[in-house]
Amino acid sequence: MNLRRWLAGGALALVMALGALVGSASFRAEEVSILMPSSFTDASADLVKAFNREHRGRIHLKLIRGPLNTESISDLAISSLLLGDAPFDALLMDVTWLPKYAAAGWLEPLDPWFDPGDEEQLVQGARLGNNYDGHLYRWPLVADVGLLYWRTDLMDQPPTTPDALVNIAGQLVQSQAVANGFVWQGRQYEGLSCDFLEVLQGFGGDWMDTTTNTMELDTPAATAAAGWLNDLIRKGVSPYAVTNYAEAESLQAFKAGDAALMRNWPYAWAELQKDDSKVKGNVGIGLMVAQPGERPGATLGSWGLSLMRQSEHQKAAVEAIRYLTSESAQRARFLNNGYTPIQADLFNDPEMLKASPVLPDLLVALNHAVVRPPTPLYAQLSDVVQRELNGLFTDAESADEAMATSQQRSQTLLRAAGATP
Amino acid sequence: MTMLLAAPALLLIAVVFGWPMLRYAWLSFHADSVLTGLEPVANGGANWLRLVADQRFWLDAGQTARFALISVGLELLLAMAIALLLHQRWRGRGAVRALTLLPWALPTTMMALGWRWIFNTPYGPIEVLVRSLGLNSLDLLSTPSITWLVTVFADVWKTTPFITLILLAGLQSIPEDLYSAFRLEGGTPLQGLRRVTLPLLLPYILLSLLFRLAQAFGVFDLVQVLTGGGPAGSTESIALYAYLNGMRFLDFGYSATVMLAGFLLLTALILAGTLLLRSCGLLRPLDR
Amino acid sequence: MTDKPMTRGSMTRRTFWIALLMVWSLGPMLWQLVSSFTTADALVNDQLSFWSRWTLNNYRDLLTTDPPFWRYLFNSSFVASLTTLLTLMFAIPAAYGMAKLPDRWRGSLRAAVVGAALFPYVLLFLALLELARTFALGNNLIAIAIPYSALSMPLALLLLTAAFEALPNDLEDAAKLEGLSLWQRLRWVLLPLIAPASASTAILVFLFAWNEYPVALTWLSRSDLLTLPVAMARIAGSSTYSVPYGTYAAATVLGAIPLLVLVLVFQRQIVSGLTNGSIKG
Repeated sequence: MNLRRWLAGGALALVMALGALVGSASFRAEEVSILMPSSFTDASADLVKAFNREHRGRIHLKLIRGPLNTESISDLAISSLLLGDAPFDALLMDVTWLPKYAAAGWLEPLDPWFDPGDEEQLVQGARLGNNYDGHLYRWPLVADVGLLYWRTDLMDQPPTTPDALVNIAGQLVQSQAVANGFVWQGRQYEGLSCDFLEVLQGFGGDWMDTTTNTMELDTPAATAAAGWLNDLIRKGVSPYAVTNYAEAESLQAFKAGDAALMRNWPYAWAELQKDDSKVKGNVGIGLMVAQPGERPGATLGSWGLSLMRQSEHQKAAVEAIRYLTSESAQRARFLNNGYTPIQADLFNDPEMLKASPVLPDLLVALNHAVVRPPTPLYAQLSDVVQRELNGLFTDAESADEAMATSQQRSQTLLRAAGATP
Repeated sequence: MTMLLAAPALLLIAVVFGWPMLRYAWLSFHADSVLTGLEPVANGGANWLRLVADQRFWLDAGQTARFALISVGLELLLAMAIALLLHQRWRGRGAVRALTLLPWALPTTMMALGWRWIFNTPYGPIEVLVRSLGLNSLDLLSTPSITWLVTVFADVWKTTPFITLILLAGLQSIPEDLYSAFRLEGGTPLQGLRRVTLPLLLPYILLSLLFRLAQAFGVFDLVQVLTGGGPAGSTESIALYAYLNGMRFLDFGYSATVMLAGFLLLTALILAGTLLLRSCGLLRPLDR
Repeated sequence: MTDKPMTRGSMTRRTFWIALLMVWSLGPMLWQLVSSFTTADALVNDQLSFWSRWTLNNYRDLLTTDPPFWRYLFNSSFVASLTTLLTLMFAIPAAYGMAKLPDRWRGSLRAAVVGAALFPYVLLFLALLELARTFALGNNLIAIAIPYSALSMPLALLLLTAAFEALPNDLEDAAKLEGLSLWQRLRWVLLPLIAPASASTAILVFLFAWNEYPVALTWLSRSDLLTLPVAMARIAGSSTYSVPYGTYAAATVLGAIPLLVLVLVFQRQIVSGLTNGSIKG
C-alpha cells in the first residue's frame, strides 16, 4: 500500500517535471521556419547561425531547403497551402507569384511591421513588385533586373535606340568582326516575356492595365516592339538560333566571343570575368534600347520574403525577415555569393565597389526597373504571349496578326477566370 | 442481401469516380480562380469558349494522342515479339519472365529520374556514345522535336511487360492441336502465325490496346518528372495541363474544364476506334 | 511450333534474343546501379582512373538526410499494406454479391466497373484534392488509403468476381444444406477457395498503391510523410548547383530492391492476376 502510494507520488512528480520541461521548452524558443530555394538557404546558412545565436532562448529560425527550380518551389508551397496546413511561417517569393498568393488570401500584409522610412532606403527597383491591392506583402531580399551587355572592344558606346542597335550590330556582322550581332532569349518560356517587356517599354507600350484588366497588346507600340524583335532575326542581326535560346545559351555564345550584344541578368557579369571567358575585361553593362523620347526598361526579377497568414509566430517571423534583409546581411550576401543588394547606399559603398565595379551600372538599371503585369493570372497571360511571339519568329506570321491574336486570347482568358471585362 | 454486400464497394467507386465528373461538369460553368477569391462564380460558357480557342489545349491534345498511339503501337509490336519468345519452352524461362516484369513494377517517377540521368547532356551514356562516334550532340531533353520520342521510349520500356503478359496468356490459351493440324496441311510457321495465332489472339490484343490507350492518354507521372512538359511545352499532356491550371495557376474552373474535355476526347477516341474496328469486322470474335 | 526440334543455329539465335531482352529490361537499372557507386567527379569525368571512381557516399548521403530515405520506404509500405487490406475487406464481399446477382443487373454493373478500371484516374485529382481539403484528410497516411482503395477497387472487383463465378454452385448449396449462414459460408467455404485470386489481387493492389503518384502529390506535402514516388520526384529539384545524379541513382536502386524481391517472390500471382483480369475482364 505504502509502496503504491510512493509510486503514484513519484509518477505524479515525473509527469509534472516533464510537463514543466516541455512547457518551458516551448516558452523558451519560438520556432520560425522559412521556405526558400536551396540556393538561398545555402547562401544564408551563416546568417541563420548568427541570428539564432543573437536570439538564443527567444526565437529559433530554421530554413526549409526547397527545390532550386523557381516553378518547383512554388508548386511545393502551393500544394502545402491548398491542403490548408503550411509548415512554414514565411516564404521567399519570386516577384511574379505575389499577386496570385495575395489574391488567394495566403499572405499577411506587412504594412504594420514596415514603415515608409524603411521603404525609402531601398533602391527604386526594389520598391516595385512588393504590393498588391494597396498592401505591402513582400520585403525584398535581393534585386535583379534585365541588362544589355556590350563589347567594349567592338564599340565605343552601347546603342541606345532600336535603330542604332540594328545598325551597329548589323555592321559588325557584315564586316565579319563578330559571328552574331545581338543574342537574347527567344525560346518559348518566361525569359522571352521578360525580353519582350523591356522592348515594349522602350517602344512606349504597355502589356496591360491591371487596374481595369484591359489588355494593350494590339496597340501600335506593342506591334512595333514585336515586329522589331522579329526583324532582328529576319535581318540577321540576331541568329535564327535565338528562337531556341534561354539565358544559358545566350551567355555561352557571348562568353565565347560570338556576339556583340547580349540581353541577360546581373549574374552573367561574374561568369564573363572568369578565366575561361573570351571576352574577359571587354564587357560593359547598359540598358535595353528605347525609341527616342521613351524611357528604357529593365524587367524586374527579384526575390523577397512574405509572411504567411496562417503563421502563429508572425512577430518572430518578421524579426527573422528583418534580420535576413538587413544591411549587413545584404553586404555579406553580395560579397560571398554575388547577390545584388536592395539598399540604395550600399551601391556607393567603397568595400562593395571594390568587389564589383559594375554596381553603379546596376543601380542605373534598377532605377529603370519595370514589373511584369502584377495580376494573379500573370503566368497564363505570359504563356499566351510567349507562344505567339515564338510562333512569330519561327513561322512566317506577321507581327500584326501575332499581337492581335495575343490580345484576343488574353481577353478570353481574363473573362473565363472571372475578371469583369 | 447480396446487393447489400456489394453496396459499400460500389458506393466507394461511385464517390471517387462519379462525384469528380459531376463536380467538374458543374465547375466548368463557373469561374473559380484567384480572381474570384477561389470561390466559384457562374460565368456562363466562358471556360468552354476559352477552351475552344486555347491553342495550348489543342496542341496538348494532339501531343497526348500522338504519344498514346505511337507508344501503344510500339509496345504492342514489341510485346508480340517478346511473348512469342517467352512462349517457347526453354530452361530458365520462368526467371526471365519474372525479370522482364521488373520495369513494369517500378514507380514511374523513379525511372523518370533514371532516364533524366541516362539521356542527360553532356554526361549521360547516350550522349557520350554519340559524341565518341564523332556526331553532334543530340540534346535529347531540350530539343522539342526529339524529346517527345524520349518520353515514348520511357513509356515503351515500362509498359511493354504488361502487354507481353496479356498476350502470353492468350498464346497459352491456344490449343496445340491447331498448330499440329496446320502443319499437317503443309503450312509454314509464318503462315501459322498469321492464320492461327493472330486471329485467336485478337481479343487479347484489342483488350490490351483499349486498356493501354486509355492509360497512355492520361500520361502524367512520366512527363511531370522527366520533362516537366518541356521543352517549350512539346511534351505537355492534357493531364499535365489540367494539373498546371489547378495547382500552379490556381484556376480551378478552367482546370475542371480541361479535365472534362480530356475525358470526352478520350471517350470519343475509343468510340471511334471501336466503330472503325467493327466496320472492318475485326470485333466479331469479341461479340460472344 | 513449340515442340519442333531445334537446330543449333536457331538455338544460338534464340539465346541472342533472350540476352537482348535481358539487356533491354535490366540495362537501365544496371546503369543506375553502377552510377550509384560512382563518385560525383567520375560521373562527369571519364578520364579518371578506374580505381578512383567508386564510392559509397551516395548511399550515405541518402540515409543521413532529413528525413532519411528509409522513411519513404516505410511510408510507402505502410500505405500500400493498409490499402491492400482495406481493398480486400470491401472487394471480397462485394465480388461475392456481384457474382450472385441476376444476369441483367450483372452485365450493366460490370460494364460500369470495367469503365472505371479503364479510366485514367489522374483526371480525378482536382476533385479528390477538394475532398481532402473539405474533410481535412491531407497529410495523413491512413486517410490516403481511402482514395487508393477506391481507385484499385474496380480491378479488384473484376478479378474476384471472376473467381467467384468460376466456383461450382454445388459447393455452396451443400454448405447451405449443412445449415451454414452466409458469413460462415463465406469464411469457411468460399474464402479458402478463392485464396489464389485474392493473393493475385492483393499483390496488384499493393503495387498500385506503392507506385501511385498524382494523388500522393496533392494529398501529401509534409516531407516526413511523403511516399516513395513523390519523394523521388522531389529529390529531383532539391540540389543547389548541379543535379545529384549519383544520389538519384542510389535512390532508384534502394527503391527498386523491395519491388525486385516482390516481383521475384510473387511472380506467379502477378502473372495469373493480370492474365485472369484480361480473360474475364
